[in-house]
Amino acid sequence: MNKISAYILALGIAALGTACQKDLLTPKPTTDIPDWEAFTLKERIGNEATGLYTVMKNGKFLGGKVLIANDVRGEDFVNLTTNNVTLNASWKMTAVGESQEIKEIWSQGYMAINNVNVFLAGMAAKGNAVAGDSLAKIYAGDAKFVRGLSYFSLLQLFARPYWDGAGSKPGLILFWEPHTKLGDYSRARSTVKETYDQIIRDLDSAETLLPKLTASTKFSANKGNSYNAVALKMKVYLQMGQYDKVLTEGAKLIAGSGPFTSPAGYVLESDLKNLYTPKYAGKEAVIYMPFGASPGDFPGTQTQLGYYYSPASVGGNAEYALNTATGSIVADASWKSTDARRQFILPVGTRSFLVKYAGPSPYLDFAPVLRWAELLLIEAEAKVRVSNTVDPTAIALLNAVRGRSDATTVFTAANFATPNDLIDAILKEKHIELLGEGNRAMEIIRLGIPFPAKSATVLAVPPTAAGYIWPISSDELVYNKLAVDNQ
Amino acid sequence: MRKFLLVVASMLFLASTLLAQSHRTVTGKVTDEQGAALPGVSISLPGGKTGTVTDAKGAFSLSVPSDAKTLRISFVGYEAKTLPITGDNIGNVKLTADTKAISEVVVVGYGTQRKREVTGNIASVKGTSLANLPVQSFESGLGGRAAGVQITVPNGVVNNPPVFRIRGVNSLSMSAYPLIVIDGVPTFSGDVGSTNAPLNPLSSINPSDIESIDIAKDAAATAIYGSRAANGVVLVTTKKGKAGRPRVMYDGWVGMTTPTRLPKLLNAQQYIDIKNEGLANAGDARRYEFNKDANGNNIDTKWLDVVYRDRAISQSHSLSVGGGTENTSYYFSAGYTKQEGILKQNDFIRKNLMVNVDQKVGRIFSVGTKVAYSNESSLISGSSGSLEGEAFNSGGLARLAFLTSPIVAPYNNDGTYNTNGGSGIGGAKGGLNVGIYNPKILLDLDHSNTEANHIQGSVYGQLKPWEWLTLRTQYGIDYILMNNDAYSNNKNGDGYSSNGDATSTYTQYKRWMWTNTAQFDKTFNQHSLSVLFGTEQQRDQRERYGIGRQNQMDPYFNNSEGGWLTDLSRNMLRRSNYLLSWFSRANYNYKEKYFLSGSIRQDQYSAFGEDKKKGTFFSVSAGWEITKEDFWANSKLANVFSTLKLRGSYGKVGNYAGLGDYDALSLYRPVPYGERPSLYFSQAGNPNLGWEVSKKTDVGISYGFLNNRITGELSYYYNNIDGLILFVPQIPSAGIPSTTAIATIPANVGKMYNKGVEFSISAAAVTKKDFTWNTSFNIAYNKNEITDLAGALDKIPFVTSSLEQTSVNQVGYPASMIYVVRTNGVDPQTGRRIFVNKAGEQVYYNPVGAVYSYADGKPAPAVGTKDAVAYKNTNPKVVGGFENTFRYKNFELNVLLTYQTGFYVYYGSLAGMKDQRYWNNGVEVLDRWQKPGDVSETPKLVNGDNISNGSSFAIAANVFKGDFLKLRTVGLTYILPETALKSIHLSGAKVYVRGQNLAVMTKYPGPDPEVSSNGNNASGQGIDRNTLGNGRTVTVGLNVNF
Repeated sequence: MNKISAYILALGIAALGTACQKDLLTPKPTTDIPDWEAFTLKERIGNEATGLYTVMKNGKFLGGKVLIANDVRGEDFVNLTTNNVTLNASWKMTAVGESQEIKEIWSQGYMAINNVNVFLAGMAAKGNAVAGDSLAKIYAGDAKFVRGLSYFSLLQLFARPYWDGAGSKPGLILFWEPHTKLGDYSRARSTVKETYDQIIRDLDSAETLLPKLTASTKFSANKGNSYNAVALKMKVYLQMGQYDKVLTEGAKLIAGSGPFTSPAGYVLESDLKNLYTPKYAGKEAVIYMPFGASPGDFPGTQTQLGYYYSPASVGGNAEYALNTATGSIVADASWKSTDARRQFILPVGTRSFLVKYAGPSPYLDFAPVLRWAELLLIEAEAKVRVSNTVDPTAIALLNAVRGRSDATTVFTAANFATPNDLIDAILKEKHIELLGEGNRAMEIIRLGIPFPAKSATVLAVPPTAAGYIWPISSDELVYNKLAVDNQ
Repeated sequence: MRKFLLVVASMLFLASTLLAQSHRTVTGKVTDEQGAALPGVSISLPGGKTGTVTDAKGAFSLSVPSDAKTLRISFVGYEAKTLPITGDNIGNVKLTADTKAISEVVVVGYGTQRKREVTGNIASVKGTSLANLPVQSFESGLGGRAAGVQITVPNGVVNNPPVFRIRGVNSLSMSAYPLIVIDGVPTFSGDVGSTNAPLNPLSSINPSDIESIDIAKDAAATAIYGSRAANGVVLVTTKKGKAGRPRVMYDGWVGMTTPTRLPKLLNAQQYIDIKNEGLANAGDARRYEFNKDANGNNIDTKWLDVVYRDRAISQSHSLSVGGGTENTSYYFSAGYTKQEGILKQNDFIRKNLMVNVDQKVGRIFSVGTKVAYSNESSLISGSSGSLEGEAFNSGGLARLAFLTSPIVAPYNNDGTYNTNGGSGIGGAKGGLNVGIYNPKILLDLDHSNTEANHIQGSVYGQLKPWEWLTLRTQYGIDYILMNNDAYSNNKNGDGYSSNGDATSTYTQYKRWMWTNTAQFDKTFNQHSLSVLFGTEQQRDQRERYGIGRQNQMDPYFNNSEGGWLTDLSRNMLRRSNYLLSWFSRANYNYKEKYFLSGSIRQDQYSAFGEDKKKGTFFSVSAGWEITKEDFWANSKLANVFSTLKLRGSYGKVGNYAGLGDYDALSLYRPVPYGERPSLYFSQAGNPNLGWEVSKKTDVGISYGFLNNRITGELSYYYNNIDGLILFVPQIPSAGIPSTTAIATIPANVGKMYNKGVEFSISAAAVTKKDFTWNTSFNIAYNKNEITDLAGALDKIPFVTSSLEQTSVNQVGYPASMIYVVRTNGVDPQTGRRIFVNKAGEQVYYNPVGAVYSYADGKPAPAVGTKDAVAYKNTNPKVVGGFENTFRYKNFELNVLLTYQTGFYVYYGSLAGMKDQRYWNNGVEVLDRWQKPGDVSETPKLVNGDNISNGSSFAIAANVFKGDFLKLRTVGLTYILPETALKSIHLSGAKVYVRGQNLAVMTKYPGPDPEVSSNGNNASGQGIDRNTLGNGRTVTVGLNVNF
């Protein structure tokens, strides 16, 4: 017995040197794909090109909080829950660099941008050869589109408007090179103008590289294509106040003098009910961030549009009610009670709620970044500003939007004594049309008007005030010694 | 080997020839030192097989060859004797207990050592001192019992792992928790559950199954664990059977815990007065008013009573059987405990079984096995707000208890739950909020439970062909199989918007390890040498998957298996790692006077970069027992000192605990994009990532006076962690991917040190027959300082629960400083909060219009966390304990005091209790500023103001000294007299009363200065944000031996 056991044990111990499993020391993850395999398969590269959009549509960025921030900084909403996690500080115009929404939007936006840069570098090194020329070209267009839109969205929140010093104020920190490992990435902010130049370069490039997908192509609004790159440029030039260029781009998209058509196939939904439905993929959509019911595909906790604005009866958390006070857009008498757009205002008790995003949890209403109605109004405004006349096409454009919801109101040149009156009408129309669609603060800043007061303790913020725009992320200032804050 | 076989062969030959010889019978009796008969003792001829065992009276009778000269008498747990056969009756033989088997031996990695030969720093705690404490896991009871060991029970949620530090915090980004080794198998630690109920895997061990705990502190004691030794090593040894008749033991207790030091809150009238004053000051015309209950009385709800138990009942029962013969020893135990927390619905239940069997197979081979199984359930309704990451949960019950307005009730007057028709509590009138969720509904309907099946087992084979050689192989497993079951109801709270939410998550942690060692022990001419060689492999596999279900079809359902409309996958994870090692240790001593020892270990770990997987760690140490020197022994000093040993050690050890299995890799993650496949760059790894390394120096003296009636140790240590792994924050605009706001990449940068002095003394102060008094005291001073972070980066702020920046790791300061904006009280003229900005200027804040101005009224830039400074230290400078045991006749009284001093706590909950939104307030606000000239700690109340009192950013006004002295345990035991027990056939019985956490002396205004909102996270200590306090427990128990 002893002898046997001795041998067994001796053998066992001797076997050790060989028994260890060296390959276990270099495990390959089974749930994520390691970088050395990222650009080796054509299909995988295609998925990565789609992934460029995935990072951008995160609820912390264009899938939610960018839109929410632009709306609640504006005057259209009343904060009900006084919760800083759901942007109470932004609503109160007291958000600071360490406020959660500021840090999140800043970093998520830059993650979208770096993801683009990493993708472009990976394609140049390896992926272009695997994907082949024609696909590689489209994917490059996707990358530029995402980068341009991401820079544009950040710029509206974190920089002074273009009119302030003709773009000479601090803009964004611009990166084109990929960041995949440890390094010192300190870099100073470019000017607002330099940032816009970069955005335009990216979108020009996207326009050339991407295919001309019309609105009848299902889900064409969920990714970049040649047409919506042009559409986005219209909005970019509008924010810059370069109305002639708005018209140059508009000419590529908007045809006719009423009714308006588009080579891209964009049309207004005749029934608004069809517009405000979960997963909207109709022909009015120009750029929409899509969601799906699988985990990761719907917006995360406290980033969902419906969660913020809808009352409990519609499946939301009633974080914000609509501002119905005297002087508010909701109380504006020229927005008739019969206007179809008022069906998306739901009174509950003494409050009124916006119910454009009526899809309940997990909140699958696509996030509207740009739609055809807005483009028509952008075109209208540019026409008036460039011509400085009560432009009849502009009136027709305005009527196209108003008429869809309120057939009883038809504007004529007689309604407008001056071109400015027409502009005011167009702006009001846009205010009504895009209520709760992530445009309000962008509009206020572009126009250089004050943010109105919201309560006895939340006072008006003039364009000269520091709080007119957001400060940049406090994390950026801690770690990037070259960055400076706004003001 | 040939020689060995020869010996065996010749023995067999000898035995066979002996049988043919003439015989005689030898008799005798074997007793222990006290003269009690020892049954089952082996009596044999040396080298021969012939033998017998003693009977129940200790007597034996053995037929032996007439020429046999000696008899060998051996018994497990006693020193074997070889006696000459002096006649047919050799009379009474007394066996003395083998001291190596009990107190004189300490457990070291891969073996044991006699205490007097140890050159490392090891503190030992006997299992009996923890056996019947009302704690869920043994380490929670270690506080104050060993010098340099800091235990902080972070909150009153049951089964939460304590903050456990040995000689300060020794890591920033990695885990700072010590390595826990149970019977030779390193086990999992931390909270391994996936629900709001924490699950500490160490609670699987019934404390009454623990024989001893040895805490290795310096490099000499820990370096044999190489890559896992940086935070110290805790070696737990469970009970084994002792030879002799079976000993049956029952221990049971029942107890009651009551919450202590809960915050004092406003009642309904005070709430209305305070809030309406705030509204008036804000220029808001709305006013709060009373709500009426069904009887028309004013509603005045004490939400603390809704959320806390006024008495939580706990009980524990353990039954064990141990025994053995010379060749076999066994220990079986079974236990059951159910312990209620001070939070309603928060329970811990454990059922456990353990078997230890050791068997000699023949003369040189032995085998053994240990199997421990436990089933643990951690139950809670939902977030308590107390675990890491939970501080700001909307449903965090500790916060809801103090935040919810007293003017509303849990129920409507018709008996239905009070809701606002949505996720929130109802009762708000005129647009004035009264709370977040209704905690009563969450407590009644929700659950968030983790059930673990934990199997720890090992088998070993040991071969001892010669006295000087021991070969051993051990294969061990540690499996934790968990079911996490959570439900959020569809009436109120987090589950409302999804119309109910149930999640089931299955998690398994699987570890196997295989250790092979060869131990050589040789003594020649007073030189004693022992050498160990070993190899080891350890593999961990983690897998987790879950399903979430939403949109419940009927309120009847509350688990994921019920009726639901929506299915979601959740909590997916699959990971593995592997550690491959060899190690060696040599101990040498000469005349037990001079000691030398060294160890070396090489580890290869899978999670590091391709070329960085290998790490080599070592230690050297030496000791000198001065009392053995002639000059000393001959001097008068020898009459005073019984031992005086100088020792010193130096070594290099590592750490990887807390590192993700794939952190060195760059990865792409699959996430759908609008129902289409997509992949994106999701992790920037560091291919150059290697070990976290620290170098430990330790010098000490252990001493004993007056025949060791007084013993103790004094030591100095310096732990130079010059190779930290830091999760280096990346500039956000660089866009490094992350799921949190700030991305990090792990890198081998940063330096920190801990240095300190530890002193302990124990004395048998009185040793009279009827009265004894044993006292022991320990104190440890520690200084921690970060000396380098990542190059130019001089500070890394830490954000509690992703929301509030509370702490900072900054060069030149200790880890985890409180990072707040300084304040300078309240301006007596205007009642405005005075902040001190980064430049040191005083800035006055007016909540009306959110205006910041200087004293002269000129506008000032807004104050925020950018003005924060590293304000106060959170690492206790001094920790220790003071234990006294008095025994008078059959009574025993044990009193343990613990203390920690030299640290501060950020009482963030106070910001909430002074928040001027709709939140209820603490009574502190009654002393608010009201008119010019008022001197107050609370600024003028302005409704909606969440800046002045620290809700928007952390402020110094909410930082307090944490120093405390706690009456940790008091135990009174009555030992029933033997005479009384004999008649009922018991061999021993005790009844006892224990008090735990009975009193605390502190200036800290919160519930308990022992607190941590960030769990064990080394970068966010000393934070008390919306955390549940601790309770006071009294138990009565009975211990019976059959």
